[in-house]
Amino acid sequence: MDLDANRSLIVTALARIPAGDRAALQTVYRLTSAKLFGVCLRILGERSEAEDVLQEVYVTVWRKAADFDAGRASPVTWLVTIARNRSIDRLRSSKQSRRMAPIEAADGVADVGPMADVALENAQDYARLHGCLDGLETRERSALRGAFFDGNTYEELAARMNVPLGTMKSWIRRAMIKLKGCLQQ
Amino acid sequence: MSDVSAQMPEDDLLAAELALGVLADAERAAAQSRAAQEPSFAALVAAWEERLAPLAAEIADLPAPPQIWERVTAAINADSPAEKQSAGWWQSLAFWRGLSLATGALAAACIGALIYLGNAPQNTPLTAGIDGGGHRHFVATIDTRTGNIAVVPAAYSADATREPELWLIPADGKPRPLGMLRADRAVTIKIPSELAALTVGNAVLAVSLEPRGGSPTGQPTGPVIATGKLTSL
Repeated sequence: MDLDANRSLIVTALARIPAGDRAALQTVYRLTSAKLFGVCLRILGERSEAEDVLQEVYVTVWRKAADFDAGRASPVTWLVTIARNRSIDRLRSSKQSRRMAPIEAADGVADVGPMADVALENAQDYARLHGCLDGLETRERSALRGAFFDGNTYEELAARMNVPLGTMKSWIRRAMIKLKGCLQQ
Repeated sequence: MSDVSAQMPEDDLLAAELALGVLADAERAAAQSRAAQEPSFAALVAAWEERLAPLAAEIADLPAPPQIWERVTAAINADSPAEKQSAGWWQSLAFWRGLSLATGALAAACIGALIYLGNAPQNTPLTAGIDGGGHRHFVATIDTRTGNIAVVPAAYSADATREPELWLIPADGKPRPLGMLRADRAVTIKIPSELAALTVGNAVLAVSLEPRGGSPTGQPTGPVIATGKLTSL
């Protein structure tokens, strides 16, 4: 199924959910649960936790589908954001100390993730973002990726990259400023 | 960091930090609560979510176990206003209505005992069914003699990350926090003395979903899921 067909199916189904249409929720689930389960598991690292959060994500979609505005956001962005936010909230509330491998700032391999399903997503948006990430300093990019994919806080990132907290904050903030400037071009 | 901040407004940086997820507990909760209350800040956060979300394309798909869909269905059956099908007893609206009636009868019985034990008929107890989305979520009874409010869960189903908070909304329309509720058991809360005069018939009880430990602002920050008017028994 090509991207545009998939996207419009999701948008149409999301629009039917506020009226209580379960089949519409099931359509959204069928088209997106593998993506969102991947996101939850990537951040949480534990399968049972990821399963709990995935369930919460679709209950949230059921309750909040009326908030989705197809004119403002892509449906995948909206869903991925719910999955990331729920996963990070769960991570923070679990209070368990996480095992975190050090991040090597010069680690080029870690910066090239598996891109198997890029074609199924909005390939143009991804290519633009990836191009802008390439323009960051290696350490800024590594820190930003650690935050996005592992759900790390400033403190955790500082520990993983072995730099003071203030340094980490300015790396991330600088990275975000550059990123916004680059994406606006 | 002043050199950095000069290049982007502080609010935009905070929105970026919230969207990226680097803020720790208290800062994250504070930023989330701002996003819930300030549409302009929420728009900054949404713009950052939009910028960052394409990165998720790098995360490989992973088929979810089939029981997750069943769990989703069970969870929404407990709070769906549009439930029409009659699949199983646990999905049946009649079951949940029956349950909340039973809970109401239990509450009434408790009040009966309370009147009998208290032997103080001049202090009429107040009660409210706290309903939303076609369901009775909680039943509240107030012993006006002691100033205690007892709240029994009915069809309320627990939210995994947020907790139900009880609010008193008197005639002036301003919510006052009463305390946190539980999905799994009854809770008794002592009504603060300054609110006693406002806790009268026709005042409204409301339940909102809040971060753990309650709203950080003293006002509801999450959705109000159920309300009910206090009436004299």
